[in-house]
Amino acid sequence: MAVAIAAARVWRLNRGLSQAALLLLRRPGARGLARSHPRRQQQQFSSLDDKPQFPGASAEFIDKLEFIQPNVISGIPIYRVMDRQGQIINPSEDPHLPKEKVLKLYKSMTLLNTMDRILYESQRQGRISFYMTNYGEEGTHVGSAAALDNTDLVFGQYREVGGLMYSGTTSLELFMAQCYGNISDLGKGRQMPVHYGCKERHFVTISSPLATQIPQAVGAAYAAKRANANRVVICYFGEGAASEGDAHAGFNFAATLECPIIFFCRNNGYAISTPTSEQYRGDGIAARGPGYGIMSIRVDGNDVFAVYNATKEARRRAVAENQPFLIEAMTYRIGHHSTSDDSSAYRSVDEVNYWDKQDHPISRLRHYLLSQGWWDEEQEKAWRKQSRKKVMEAFEQAERKPKPNPNLLFSDVYQEMPAQLRKQQESLARHLQTYGEHYPLDHFDK
Amino acid sequence: MAVVAAAAGWLLRLRAAGAEGHWRRLPGAGLARGFLHPAATVEDAAQRRQVAHFTFQPDPEPREYGQTQKMNLFQSVTSALDNSLAKDPTAVIFGEDVAFGGVFRCTVGLRDKYGKDRVFNTPLCEQGIVGFGIGIAVTGATAIAEIQFADYIFPAFDQIVNEAAKYRYRSGDLFNCGSLTIRSPWGCVGHGALYHSQSPEAFFAHCPGIKVVIPRSPFQAKGLLLSCIEDKNPCIFFEPKILYRAAAEEVPIEPYNIPLSQAEVIQEGSDVTLVAWGTQVSKVASRKEKIFFLTSGFSFLFQSVIKTGRLLISHEAPLTGGFASEISSTVQEECFLNLEAPISRVCGYDTPFPHIFEPFYIPDKWKCYDALRKMINY
Repeated sequence: MAVAIAAARVWRLNRGLSQAALLLLRRPGARGLARSHPRRQQQQFSSLDDKPQFPGASAEFIDKLEFIQPNVISGIPIYRVMDRQGQIINPSEDPHLPKEKVLKLYKSMTLLNTMDRILYESQRQGRISFYMTNYGEEGTHVGSAAALDNTDLVFGQYREVGGLMYSGTTSLELFMAQCYGNISDLGKGRQMPVHYGCKERHFVTISSPLATQIPQAVGAAYAAKRANANRVVICYFGEGAASEGDAHAGFNFAATLECPIIFFCRNNGYAISTPTSEQYRGDGIAARGPGYGIMSIRVDGNDVFAVYNATKEARRRAVAENQPFLIEAMTYRIGHHSTSDDSSAYRSVDEVNYWDKQDHPISRLRHYLLSQGWWDEEQEKAWRKQSRKKVMEAFEQAERKPKPNPNLLFSDVYQEMPAQLRKQQESLARHLQTYGEHYPLDHFDK
Repeated sequence: MAVVAAAAGWLLRLRAAGAEGHWRRLPGAGLARGFLHPAATVEDAAQRRQVAHFTFQPDPEPREYGQTQKMNLFQSVTSALDNSLAKDPTAVIFGEDVAFGGVFRCTVGLRDKYGKDRVFNTPLCEQGIVGFGIGIAVTGATAIAEIQFADYIFPAFDQIVNEAAKYRYRSGDLFNCGSLTIRSPWGCVGHGALYHSQSPEAFFAHCPGIKVVIPRSPFQAKGLLLSCIEDKNPCIFFEPKILYRAAAEEVPIEPYNIPLSQAEVIQEGSDVTLVAWGTQVSKVASRKEKIFFLTSGFSFLFQSVIKTGRLLISHEAPLTGGFASEISSTVQEECFLNLEAPISRVCGYDTPFPHIFEPFYIPDKWKCYDALRKMINY
């Protein structure tokens, strides 16, 4: 299919577009219609016709030798609703969310921010083994989460916990339990901190290998389509993970198999220490979408309303038309990659400060709230105090609880425990009877 | 342990008098039957390609599962898939070229019968196929993925080992992909060379959380495949491709299950225990009962070795790190004092699978015979 040429043509036309910069590929049947037929029809063979007959591309001949220039100087434009001061730029793009919803967005982001600070510190103090903060990217989490239905399925990478925060108040307990690996951890203490999962919220448990969730999300979307479930699957990943083969696999499968899925890329500028200039040479991730036949958009990830609008529209169409959508949310990773990283080794403090002070999703939404008269300094102070208290309570509770019984080391490998594994479990139990004093049994449930 | 590996193989206990001469006179010994198969005679001066190095011995018609039909291995696979799609509306089959019927004809007719949303081609991408299959299974639907040759399963190794195998454990049983089955043609085929002959079961046997199953016959294949599909854990089902056409026997038309965790004796004996799986079983197939050898069937294997004192394990895969080493190691732990001779492994050499040298590479019946002889005379 004519990818690059059509895309280049469309980019030139779309500069200065006032509407959402959704790239519309000029393909028959692509607009607003449920596509149940295979994209390419069998072409009529006619040897008298001088048109191309190749099964592999639907294109015209050209007799001028010309390489397509990848358009990276001025790439796909970035859709936004608010400016950096939280003012709506184009009133027709204002989603006009009700006050409660906007407050919920704001409180989720700030609660997450507070939890991040406390848990980061707790790792530094040796209370938990590891942590990853979400500083600067909170807008991508809650903006997208707010646009989804309760039954939609979420596959994340590891820096999307704000979505889970947005969807429930019991979340703090869930997060703390997992980070501490205590008896309340739904994951039964098996994984490193921040590898959350929640069946109720349809948030599939995080795994460390990057991008593996991408083709999985596509399969889940295919199953949802077959089940007529009216469900979308959203799949989050970073711009670094998008380099993995699994990302290519996922995009291609989603397009060829016509799956109702939203690919949500958080482009935060760094993959640990690797800047985007060393991650890719093309125009980011959004530009890859058309290459697969995927509707694509680039948004300002620090603008909660832009993220919300794009996700909402993508969701509506993905389910209605059974096709994938790619949203590249541009943002910045203000914090270190994790507690094992010190980013001053590869970037300047000035750069980080700029984003923290001048273009932060929380500040921008707060400006919006203030301008609407829905928030003020008093409430801000009270909420900071309250959110800190909430987090500290959950934190102290989680810290006091014991760890799960060591027998849980052996279960859930299979649905049923095989005899061989039971033997090994018994062997550990016997070992602990003799050598138990050398093991931290006091911290574990009996 | 680290793994539950289910392999359909066989334990053969031979009655042997210890001296070589007695071998030839043993009635009913599968070994003798195997030797009756003549080598291809060359009539003319021109070289002919070697015929198959074994003869498949069909099992007697199974009576307990209703009406049967003569099926070869690929037909028995089709029958299992047909049964699965008929009774499980969520089940889907996908992979490269499955839509037209598959390169080994295992999915012939299924797309027409069940629809293109249930039997469909994917792009050429094994990591995608398995990842996609995991995702389907996570929602609870049944995913039957095909990897065109086991030799090409490696791009999907990460998805299988790091994801599928660990899904239930790492999520504390919140999520799982138990309804995923991966099918793939496996083993030597006479001319497959490096990339159409591999037996990679050992790589997966080392991974806790998945099951690896290898049938030895059409009847086994259908029953085991149905069990894999219904099993609540992700399974890899390796199909010995040389048997797709070469093995034919009466197979029930209706669905039936052969349990994945069970052992059976193929032939009773008292002097040697022989273990193999897949095509190797046909090297010395017997008409008696079949055996599924599983790690949970280890206790059965121990009983056998305690009785015979001698164990020979054979597989096509290379010797070093092959699954025979796991069996050997476990048996010597449990049956050390009962062993009359070192455990013998008759396997492929530690080389990639060659093309023109295949007849020399494979652990054929002569190598098994020689190893047995040495073991008996130890």
